[in-house]
Amino acid sequence: MAQDLAQIKKDLKEMLVTGLSLEDIKPEDIKDDEMLFGDGLGLDSLDAVEIVVLLQRNFGLEVKDMENRKEIFTSIDTLAKYVFENRKKAS
Amino acid sequence: MTRQRSSNKKRGNRLGFWFFRAALRAFGLSGAYGLLYPVCLYYLLFDRPAVASSMAYIRRRFKTYNFLRRVYGVYTLFVNQGKNLIDRHYAVSGLGEFDVEFKGYDEIQKLLSASPKGLILLTAHVGNWQVTMTALKKLEKTVYLLMSPEENVAVKKALALDSDRERIKIISLNNFLGGVIEIMKVINEGDLVSIMGDRSDGYSSEEVYFLSEKAAFPYGAFSIAAAAQCPVVVLLSAKISAKKYLVDASHVIIPRYSSRNKKHEDIRGWVQEFARIMEDYTAQYPLQWFVFRDIWKGKNLNNANVIKP
Repeated sequence: MAQDLAQIKKDLKEMLVTGLSLEDIKPEDIKDDEMLFGDGLGLDSLDAVEIVVLLQRNFGLEVKDMENRKEIFTSIDTLAKYVFENRKKAS
Repeated sequence: MTRQRSSNKKRGNRLGFWFFRAALRAFGLSGAYGLLYPVCLYYLLFDRPAVASSMAYIRRRFKTYNFLRRVYGVYTLFVNQGKNLIDRHYAVSGLGEFDVEFKGYDEIQKLLSASPKGLILLTAHVGNWQVTMTALKKLEKTVYLLMSPEENVAVKKALALDSDRERIKIISLNNFLGGVIEIMKVINEGDLVSIMGDRSDGYSSEEVYFLSEKAAFPYGAFSIAAAAQCPVVVLLSAKISAKKYLVDASHVIIPRYSSRNKKHEDIRGWVQEFARIMEDYTAQYPLQWFVFRDIWKGKNLNNANVIKP
């Protein structure tokens, strides 16, 4: 499980940097517990739209399952945990 | 969508609204309209923020007008806005109906039948959007209005929304990340989301030319549509005779990024297209512009161009 989670975190970081065209940020610069929105990585709500699409496309997750789950989007840690648990359910 | 809140002064009070409702019931539409003229004169003399923001538009729309004609233009805007409010109450309270010509209805139906996804309705504070929303019931789709909680109460009242039975529902901007996840969800489920595209009010915005000068328009609708891969239908309305409104949904923008590195340019292009449509609207219905913001003013441009390239 630890290995799976680590891989998901790595994939998520690459997904964010590439998918959101984050300039001057490398995947390895993003800390696992860094806040994604506001202070921290500084993403905004319009980035959230793209993250939702990227999660759908790359991990097969459903947007309806993400509604009312704002804690998912706190950090790479929380996002990876959500992807790990829900991807497992789907498979 | 992230933003800074703007102060939005509420005008009128309960007694005033009661007075107009009573006049409407006693004397009909034209009787109630008649009361607007002295009331709007009061606002013209004493409501400086409303006059200043309206003058910003009138000055650019009617460049050759002298000062007095411009002031009269502002006054006419106030009167027309008052007529809108009276019309809204007239229709919602069941005192009577307005004829509505729905231009672009077939196009919306085609878009909806071509894809399981819904679409975004990009609208503006022009004409009478309450009439527009009522006209949308014909589509037999749920329409979600994106708005702040303070607007929420007023809009529920204005549209006489009655809980879960209605096909018009509200997504609050105060929800997590400005409601974008809910928006994505309902678009995926085939429903419609109405977003105001004219007041930036601190939202992420883009500067484009409008009436020959740079003005800030919010671009959230396009960013969401590009991500959700759904169309944006520009939805405007206008009063075209005493008892008739036109609802125009014939302008469709399909936001698709040309490449990852050109998102900024793509978004600016879509916002400029929207501004062009609005400019055409103001050419045809110049005195139905009820935005009441100086969208050209520098302080509204603080958050402009914040999108990542």
